[in-house]
Amino acid sequence: MKNTLSRIGVVAARVLNQLRRDRRFVAISILFPLIIIYFIKLVFDVLAPPSFNISPYAVPYAAFIVHFIAFILTAIVLVRERTAGTMAQMFVSGYQQIEIIIGYLLAYTVLATAQSLLVLLELNWLFNLGFSVAQFASMYLVMWLLAVISMAIGMLVSNFARNEGQVFPFIPLVILSVILSGIIVPVEKLPDWAQVISYLTPLFYANEVLQELIAGGGLLDDWVMFVILPIYGLIVVGIATISLREKD
Amino acid sequence: MNGSASIVVQNLDKFFGKQKALKNVDLSIHKGQIYGLLGPNGAGKTTLIRCLIGATKPTKGKLSVLGFSPTKQKQKVRGLIGYMPQTPALYEDLTAFENIRFFAYPHQNENFSERINEVIDFVGLTKRAHDQVFKFSGGMKQRVSLACAMVHRPRILLLDEPTTGIDPKLREIFWQHFRDLTQQGTTILVSTHQMGEAMYCDRLAILHEGTLLADEPPRQLLWKQQAKIKLQRGTTVAARMVSHYPEQLPKLLHKLGLDPTINRIEIEEQTLEAVVLGMINEHEKHLNQGGAP
Repeated sequence: MKNTLSRIGVVAARVLNQLRRDRRFVAISILFPLIIIYFIKLVFDVLAPPSFNISPYAVPYAAFIVHFIAFILTAIVLVRERTAGTMAQMFVSGYQQIEIIIGYLLAYTVLATAQSLLVLLELNWLFNLGFSVAQFASMYLVMWLLAVISMAIGMLVSNFARNEGQVFPFIPLVILSVILSGIIVPVEKLPDWAQVISYLTPLFYANEVLQELIAGGGLLDDWVMFVILPIYGLIVVGIATISLREKD
Repeated sequence: MNGSASIVVQNLDKFFGKQKALKNVDLSIHKGQIYGLLGPNGAGKTTLIRCLIGATKPTKGKLSVLGFSPTKQKQKVRGLIGYMPQTPALYEDLTAFENIRFFAYPHQNENFSERINEVIDFVGLTKRAHDQVFKFSGGMKQRVSLACAMVHRPRILLLDEPTTGIDPKLREIFWQHFRDLTQQGTTILVSTHQMGEAMYCDRLAILHEGTLLADEPPRQLLWKQQAKIKLQRGTTVAARMVSHYPEQLPKLLHKLGLDPTINRIEIEEQTLEAVVLGMINEHEKHLNQGGAP
């Protein structure tokens, strides 16, 4: 156990060390969501009347952008490990699946922490949302959890891709989640079969909790939806760990 | 299985779907040997090495690495071996030191940092140890890769075409390293398709289309083939083809006795390249005629 924990630490430290030196990657991860949110603001400025309550839309859209970018970047980085042969070399050197997955997740969580915080700060500033500190902190926690889950999904997807190009067919699935999560149309109005798929997307649970918070409720008012998020994350991490294999 | 051998392979088959990458391969590698795997691209060299490191599961047959099974005791085997892949698998934005430290960490032993510096020195990269790998030439990356493979003092080194794409001077340095390591008791399995360096091996396996065509010391491979022996009397040269010439030459000379008219004896051995190509062509012909592999 001690060995496993120290190896997780070594993998995380190595990834963080790489991130520290790969400024372009860090800049893309941080700046892209901020830029996209700015463009969403421009769209709302044109389309929404001045009395329109923007919060129920702007916050979940921002959550989706964090979800999408965290997913795609993690998936591509992990696939790059595979194509460069370093993934295989990690296995031969004696690292185990769980050490690689958790190590990566820990390192990227640092990035997700900064990314989610900056996105919310920008959102608050651009849309003048006027949330209380408690609301802001709760939304941050939800968005952070969603970012971590998105990275875990990225890792899972990377296990089924042999090269960076093979990640792209999975992108529509993530984009689909914006339609199915209830951000655009209420899930109850979708056909039964589509509702079933909605429940499989993490954005659905994040949106439910965020809507509760925007309406002035607490984090645990709809506690089932909130608790599902970390459980969802653990399940995805478990599947990603089991499916991470040395390719034959 | 042979108790004194570091690596034993018995009746090994590896199929990828219908493609037969290895067919009934048998070999045994002893401690302190440099054992060469020679063959053209697609011969099965990398597949054999990947079976030995536990990265791929054999379809049939038995494997033993220092008495352990690479499939059932993968982690045990991986602590005892060092593996250098065909293309250096390194983190380009990390330094040479950081790469070696990362890959060695799971099998670290005492004086870890000292040992890393020692291998960096061994591969001649002391001055560049703290430079990021993306600034390195191909040969330097190969050297970092070798250092990663040997830093935890493995008892067996598995090197997959370690000298591909590097200049002759560096190749000579690499082979000097390999000889130094075997003198310290390390066993080395090295795959190559370069005939020149195959001659440095203590023993050589020739692989073609997954079949083991020969498993002998390189000298013996040459001696088995026919050599041309030229006897010159005055200005007249008589040539004879002789196989197993180290045994046959004394008999031939004995027959001639102390013939004072012979003023020159010349032996033209076949090159290893010619011998290997001959074996491969023969095997191809056999396969084309529908023979068993």
